[in-house]
Amino acid sequence: MMLQQYLKDYGQQAEIFVEQLNLLENGRMEAFAAIEALEAMVVADDNTVLLQIGGGASVRAKVLEPEKVLVAIGAEVVVERSNKDAVEFLKERIMEMEASQKRVSETLDKLRGQMTEINKRLEYGYQQSMAGHQEEE
Amino acid sequence: MFGGLRERLQAARNRLSSSIGAVVAPPAAEPVVTPPITSDVSTEQAKSAAPSFVDKVKVLVLEREFIVSDKNIAEALSELEMTLLESDVALPVTDAIIAHVRKSLVGKHRKIGESVDAMVVSALKAALLQVLGKGFDLKEYITTHPRPVKILFTGVNGTGKTTSVAKIGSYLHKQGFSVVIGAGDTYRAGAIEQIAVHAERIGIKIIQHKEGADPSAVLFDTVQYAISHKIDVVLADTAGRFHNKSNLMNQLEKIKRVMKPDLVVYVDEAVAGNDAVIRAAEFDRTVGADAIVLTKADMDSRGGAAISIAHTIGKPLMFLGVGQGYDDIIPFDPAGVVDELLDGA
Repeated sequence: MMLQQYLKDYGQQAEIFVEQLNLLENGRMEAFAAIEALEAMVVADDNTVLLQIGGGASVRAKVLEPEKVLVAIGAEVVVERSNKDAVEFLKERIMEMEASQKRVSETLDKLRGQMTEINKRLEYGYQQSMAGHQEEE
Repeated sequence: MFGGLRERLQAARNRLSSSIGAVVAPPAAEPVVTPPITSDVSTEQAKSAAPSFVDKVKVLVLEREFIVSDKNIAEALSELEMTLLESDVALPVTDAIIAHVRKSLVGKHRKIGESVDAMVVSALKAALLQVLGKGFDLKEYITTHPRPVKILFTGVNGTGKTTSVAKIGSYLHKQGFSVVIGAGDTYRAGAIEQIAVHAERIGIKIIQHKEGADPSAVLFDTVQYAISHKIDVVLADTAGRFHNKSNLMNQLEKIKRVMKPDLVVYVDEAVAGNDAVIRAAEFDRTVGADAIVLTKADMDSRGGAAISIAHTIGKPLMFLGVGQGYDDIIPFDPAGVVDELLDGA
């Protein structure tokens, strides 16, 4: 019973870490998309971009100042940066997120290792009890 | 822990040092242009024009010192500001750190040969220590207050509150205190079993009712048990809740009325960054908070929440959760954290 509770406990913790990994991955992909868009904006001739307005709909929009980018740098502060600096900033954030992903993955692996160990013990206990039953019969 | 912040602070520290270091001795010819230093008339004129002029000339020519000016470090301070904001350090806290560093450095006399880096590190350390506060020594609090000391844990869902209660229980148990845990999270499925297993593992008594029971009643019983058994500390777990759910916040009010906690401890995760700071401020405003515990600090590279939370809500940080084991909780030591961030980096 106690082992099962351990397993449940670890399972819940693992779920939280998986959720965190997903969040980090989403953030990383978003940052990659933003870098791609920022870089494309500078080389595009007429500053036209596709602006997603939700529900899968997009409109063509002209970017007034592709060289000036507003970036949320943290602590709910938004600053204006040059296109190049914004790309640099996003690249740094990606590296940071990748480092965090690595740490969360390591913890998750450790948890999963412990869960496998508990499963083995449960399985062993179950087989022992079944063997005991058969002997009694 | 806080690896990203450490790297960034190191860069900011180097930048500040080189800005100040760049204020090197002017060419020998330059100070010679100010010979009237011995002339009374000129000295008088200088005094009336700019009171610090004579002083500046004196230190430049006679004592071979330099005075750090606002201009010398303006750019480096602006970079430090960005560094802190990018690490999710709240804006008011960033402002306080910058103001403190500026105050420490501007107008400072630097002798030739004196280590610029030591000067910068000392200014940064003092600024960080000022915003980090003094921490909270739970052991000392317990020994200096009437027993049982009742500690109520609050916070939002899924931040590691129940695990933190178990970790703190284990910590206090090892420090020689007797502890009882009240399983006040009667709302979340499996929460009672979870804390019961923790309590069994660390050898602490737990008081529990059925799932769905009134948490106030559970925690009242826990306090009564502690009084009758002369237990030192009551750790009261509660269900996670968001500060905007008024019915749950009212329930917390009721718990407070019934169990009359000596300390209300707010638990959140360090990785939530500025969100954790905002939520802590909300909880403090609605149900009050006497101290903070930040979990998952080992996963947090930015360190923004840990740096900002004490200064923003004016309540001390008590513990940092740094792993999965029961011993993976460390009493928050501001000087230790600052040393880790700035020393040997």
